[in-house]
Amino acid sequence: MTAGVGIWRCRTCRAALFPQRLLCPHCQGAEFDEDRVYDGVVAEIAVIRHMIGQADWQPRRIANVRTTDGPAITVGLMDEAGEGAVVQLFQEDGAPFGKAKR
Amino acid sequence: MNVRSAAIIGVGQSAYTRRPQPGQSAHTFIRDAVVAALADAGITAGDVQGLAVASFSLAPDTAVDLAWKLGLSLRWLLQDTNGGSSAMNMLGHALRGVDAGAADTILVVGGDATGLAGYGKIAANYNIATRDHLAPLGHGGPNGVYALVASRQIKTYGLDKSDYGRLAIAQREWAAKNPFAVYRAPLTMDEYLAAPMVADPLSRYDCVPVVAGAQAIVVAHPDRAPAGRPGVRVRAHRASFNYDNQEGDGLKTGISTFAAALWDEAGVAPGDIDVASIYDDYPTMVLAQLDDLGMIPGHDLARFCRRDIGERRYPLNTWGGMLSAGQPGGPAGGLNGIAEAVLQLQRRTGERQIENARLAVATGYGMTMYRYGGTAAAAILERGA
Repeated sequence: MTAGVGIWRCRTCRAALFPQRLLCPHCQGAEFDEDRVYDGVVAEIAVIRHMIGQADWQPRRIANVRTTDGPAITVGLMDEAGEGAVVQLFQEDGAPFGKAKR
Repeated sequence: MNVRSAAIIGVGQSAYTRRPQPGQSAHTFIRDAVVAALADAGITAGDVQGLAVASFSLAPDTAVDLAWKLGLSLRWLLQDTNGGSSAMNMLGHALRGVDAGAADTILVVGGDATGLAGYGKIAANYNIATRDHLAPLGHGGPNGVYALVASRQIKTYGLDKSDYGRLAIAQREWAAKNPFAVYRAPLTMDEYLAAPMVADPLSRYDCVPVVAGAQAIVVAHPDRAPAGRPGVRVRAHRASFNYDNQEGDGLKTGISTFAAALWDEAGVAPGDIDVASIYDDYPTMVLAQLDDLGMIPGHDLARFCRRDIGERRYPLNTWGGMLSAGQPGGPAGGLNGIAEAVLQLQRRTGERQIENARLAVATGYGMTMYRYGGTAAAAILERGA
């Protein structure tokens, strides 16, 4: 588990992007700096109660999170954080997760 | 695009089934749809000069393999990969292909037989962003993505869960009149509200049921139409791809980028439309597309659901839509809406016929890139003279 979520920042206009792009959609810059974003606010939550082909699936929560640096990221929620909650972001095997900031 | 020398002259579909049987495949469903469409158009395979196909489960075959297996020798060939807007996208290419003289007669086909396990794999590997950043969360495929969009839409427009139910129930009523629909039994609001949640706030009847099946249409010069049954003309057609770089909220679709031009080119207004085929993978996205088209007065989605749909004032997805008829992959699902518009305009839909239908709108929407769909297309269709 790595603290924060890796994002890409356009070297020309500094736009923050997630997922990775080839060209910046704002200025068409082709070079990016890797950066990390650590916090976000939960905008919407969905409870995934059914997964095709998985009979013993346990419900999971995912959320649309508006990060402090701009891009909206879909994360797995690791606790009962609700809409409007500030969450700490972290990454596991490249996938973004969040839990309520204490 | 203003095509004057091409029309849709025939439509056909295979049977739809929730569970494909041994020996059935995307290929066999596509064959059945092709045979039906050629018969409907009154032409033979030897008349076909072009083929457009979209399918998630044709692989490893491609369009030329399908042509080979159908015995079609062609001078125009297209394989489309735009999911729920593939059908509408292929229609546009086919209209232009005929109009430009690239081919006189083009067969447009979509079909899938993924099975549920195959669909699950597709949903988890839809693109790199999905594979790397969504599937590891257990996001549940598009159901999870559109659950988040639905939550936004409910908050933004003051919707109730029952508003989505009104769409699902109204479409089920239409499906009861469509012998090809997989779900035809009446659906009550109590049943809708009691249905198990799939991805909150979306429950069973909000999520399009995956089926196996195929759909085909024939695009050709209007002179090729069967005697006494003029082809359906397309007054305007527009498409959009990656309209906002996934930086919006998903409550608008790519249709918002071209709706004004679409109506202007067609020379008609939203209020002139007699019947609408709106791509319905989720009620959420039906409302988003209708609003983008300018077909929901005052952007009052709640009023539209409660009055226009709830009181059956608006003929929407009159074959039952994919929500009741089934989604044989996004591509064929989109073709189904086009085919229904054609049948309505040709007054061939029996007990679900809209009286004096003269103009129809049909849309496609798809390719859930990360947070919502990135492709959309629409056409205004007109009864042939």
